[in-house]
Amino acid sequence: MPNRVVITSVGVVSPLGSSSGEIVKSIREGKKTFERSEFDPGVWVCPVGKDFSPRDFIGRYKNLRYLNRGAAFCAASAMGALKEAGLSGEMLAGAGLFVGSGPNLDIGGEFPEILEGQMDRQDLPALWILKFLPNTAASAIADLAGIHGENATIGTACSASLQAIGEAFRKVRNGYLDLALAGGGDSRLSPGALLAYRKAQALWTGDGDCSAEYSPFGVNRKGFVPGEGGAFFLLENLDHARARGAGIIAEICGFGASMDGHNMTAPDPTGKWGEAAVRFALAEAGMSPGQIDVISAHGTGTQLNDEMEANLIGRVFDMHSPPVIALKSWVGHLAAACGAVELSIGLACLENEILPGIRNLVQPCNDNLHFVRENRDFAAKTMLFENFGFGGQNAALVVKKWTQ
Amino acid sequence: MDIFGEIRESLTEILDIEAEQVTPETYVIRDLGAESIDLLELSISLNSRFKVEINDEEIYLKSLRSCLNGAGANGDAGNRILRQFPFINGKRAGEILGDLEGGPVLKVKDLMSYVSWRAGKNGC
Repeated sequence: MPNRVVITSVGVVSPLGSSSGEIVKSIREGKKTFERSEFDPGVWVCPVGKDFSPRDFIGRYKNLRYLNRGAAFCAASAMGALKEAGLSGEMLAGAGLFVGSGPNLDIGGEFPEILEGQMDRQDLPALWILKFLPNTAASAIADLAGIHGENATIGTACSASLQAIGEAFRKVRNGYLDLALAGGGDSRLSPGALLAYRKAQALWTGDGDCSAEYSPFGVNRKGFVPGEGGAFFLLENLDHARARGAGIIAEICGFGASMDGHNMTAPDPTGKWGEAAVRFALAEAGMSPGQIDVISAHGTGTQLNDEMEANLIGRVFDMHSPPVIALKSWVGHLAAACGAVELSIGLACLENEILPGIRNLVQPCNDNLHFVRENRDFAAKTMLFENFGFGGQNAALVVKKWTQ
Repeated sequence: MDIFGEIRESLTEILDIEAEQVTPETYVIRDLGAESIDLLELSISLNSRFKVEINDEEIYLKSLRSCLNGAGANGDAGNRILRQFPFINGKRAGEILGDLEGGPVLKVKDLMSYVSWRAGKNGC
């Protein structure tokens, strides 16, 4: 009999805030989160406030110099999750760590300056390489928290952090770990990242005010808005959580992952393998589609993703979909961190019985789905999270609010 | 800024510590917990601030213990230190010899001596 796996703590840094209360307040107030990039005003972005400092979450830490901004979001949210968790050093020593991370694309003008293996830059740290290694965030979190158990750094593009949470879930479910810290952080607002997305023609291309126009699943959708942030969750064997009297937020019931094997960037338009991941997660949760109360869609606002995803939901839910929300309309696309941050927002919504509307959605691309257009009160119990990434990466997670 | 001020600034930046924690008598490794990667960063920082070449073996007294291996009495050990690390004076060499049991002996003032020596201000 597999173990039941619960979430007992959450740490988050997002454009909507850094706690469940702040996030829900921002949603209720309709917080404006998008703005023009400072160095590239033609591009709209969704930044975490300028006052973000990882020191506020982790205190003084000399290795901060080696963390790129995404890794800093990882470390900050991970330590945020542990702050109130009440775990002993011994418990942490045996905990696992699963991190979804992206590449550091903050290359700026550095590479052209390298001549014969040398670059005359005095501000380059001796261990500059650490800013580009994907496991630097994991290394820092383990160092800060004293975590020594099984671990993995997962780099599966936009499904990375949901997959990290899913892998941690499996480790606890199958008894390899009693505790695991899982999540991710990312920032794609640097010049290098915006260059990459501009080249790939994935960014929102409207002429007007993005805050008033960007809409996933809209018939006139025009690409996505890059964002940044991070979120981590403490996953725990239910028996372990009960034995130590931990507060329980939600139960993770099922996970599914797959690959399209179709294209380096575009999703398989049939959505066949994304659908397989969703169905696997439902089956592992022992739930029928009718038992899902809310779907948190990947919903990027690109032509290809949203059409594929709307059709996928239509097939799985037999055209009787539960309410569908698209959190990227609030926080932008956080790349490797999107799954973790969307889960943190979803949990805040479950707790506070609210559904955030898909912003600016006037004319949906699919009339058969139940897209949530405006914020409304809704007491959901179960939520399905979907993320699909470059390279045909698919992940789905089923979560149930803890009510016992 | 003077040599001590510059070195203190490098150390506070690299180790993420308060300026008050750094005095000339502070042990770089024993007190401040500097690790090998921090010393790598410190070399780059000192090179950048003072425009002098930093030899890691010398400035961090890395070969101290191996150079003392087999040293006898009669001031032999002290002389070995003075030969190996020309920026260390006789008084400091004596201090170092009496302090070997306590752990890594490197102090902030040794970094200052090295930089001064390299810069030719205080050569010995």
